[in-house]
Amino acid sequence: MRRVVVTGLGAVSPHGIGVKAFWSGLATGACAIRELSVIDTEGFRCRIGGEIPEPVAGSMRRTRADRFALAAAEEALTDAGLAPDEREEMALIVGAVGGGMLEAEEWYWATSRGRNTRPVPAVRSVLPCAHADALAARLRVRGPRHTVVTACSSGAVAVAEAAALIAEGVVDVALAGGVDAITRICFMGFNALKLLDPAACRPFDRDRRGMSIGEGAGFLVLEDAAAARARGARTYAELGGYGMTTDAYHITAPEPEGDGMARAIRAALRAARESPAAVQYVNAHGTGTPQNDRVEARALERVFGAGAALVSSTKSMIGHTMAAAGSLEAIATVLALGHGMVPPTANIETPDPDVHFDCVARTAREIALDCAISNSFGFGGQNVTLLFRRR
Amino acid sequence: MEPKEVLDELKTILVARLKFDPRRAAETTEATALPKGVEGSIGLDSLDFIELSIAIEERFGITMDESEDLAPHFASFATLSRFIAGKLPGA
Repeated sequence: MRRVVVTGLGAVSPHGIGVKAFWSGLATGACAIRELSVIDTEGFRCRIGGEIPEPVAGSMRRTRADRFALAAAEEALTDAGLAPDEREEMALIVGAVGGGMLEAEEWYWATSRGRNTRPVPAVRSVLPCAHADALAARLRVRGPRHTVVTACSSGAVAVAEAAALIAEGVVDVALAGGVDAITRICFMGFNALKLLDPAACRPFDRDRRGMSIGEGAGFLVLEDAAAARARGARTYAELGGYGMTTDAYHITAPEPEGDGMARAIRAALRAARESPAAVQYVNAHGTGTPQNDRVEARALERVFGAGAALVSSTKSMIGHTMAAAGSLEAIATVLALGHGMVPPTANIETPDPDVHFDCVARTAREIALDCAISNSFGFGGQNVTLLFRRR
Repeated sequence: MEPKEVLDELKTILVARLKFDPRRAAETTEATALPKGVEGSIGLDSLDFIELSIAIEERFGITMDESEDLAPHFASFATLSRFIAGKLPGA
């Protein structure tokens, strides 16, 4: 099995366009969850979310999500320093859920109210696999291509699947990540499930009341370590291993003892040949729902023992960016290793006494890190843990 | 930008984005028609027009309004070049 390293990063997040804006927001503990403007929230209990705060380049004929994906993917490829001919054969793995749903909704709402609109972008780009179409065509990527749809863990599964293709020698380089734009169906769906906090989400707080939705795109360039060394690439971190499991328990609720989550974390440790004691930082799934955070803390305690690692939630600052979450959080984890700094969990006022970990409340912590994991858990109990080591 | 320069950019788009043979793109003139089914045209279909529209908006930084009937502008390279040139800043 070949070793897999991260050589490029790209992000479009509620903190702004680019990895620099993303990390600067995380490192300062800034909360980018604000009043939503991309959809009409009139009449809903919750009216906030993590929205991209500035226009993203690209033709308006592309969907909002496709523009996010292109911006993040182009940044990652440029960051990796890959020339166009070095990209041609690479794999493209995209985690996606909403596809072009935002524009399809606009078309449907207008049409059903008798306003004539032309359905062109909506119809062409509605499926989740449309992002990969747009990316491959625009960036001329011609190797293996998958779209991963595993709900809220899609972006992390994309990274794991890309690593597998490299480790097994199918490709030397892969562009992997996730993307989602805020849509009405997502916002209203989580609202109907009573999972949205009317205020900015407070993961691991005793009084947390739910999640905040968000949007964005995160892409990573993954590469065979020897190939990266041969071309003199700068290396951020090694993807030491990953674990993927399924709860097979419930359509939305996690298995209450955290069995599936714990198995994913242990599988990642096993694949990376690391002991639980080696993991210094856990970038948690940490949605801020009462159930997720309780069960995730239980799973962490089963694997690591109480208090054995720092735990923080990126979602406390940018909301739950759906299919982008797993890849944006992988980027946050990689940057935490590189900077020797654990981003905080914003908005914690009263730490939950049932969470037996230091959740790095409100202020980032400087600490030399060698090994960290990022958890992503999708509805239906689709659990993924990515383990990164500093290089 | 003159319509002639716009035409050269459109030829580049034909090759880079619509995957035309460079020789076929080089043969096109202002008089060449675009839509499939028109005599002597380069045979663009509805999906080609979407890709072409995206490429034009991204290359020239303009927005084409879908609520207006765009078909006459996409009839030939002459009409399209004039349409684009007219939307550019300073036009």
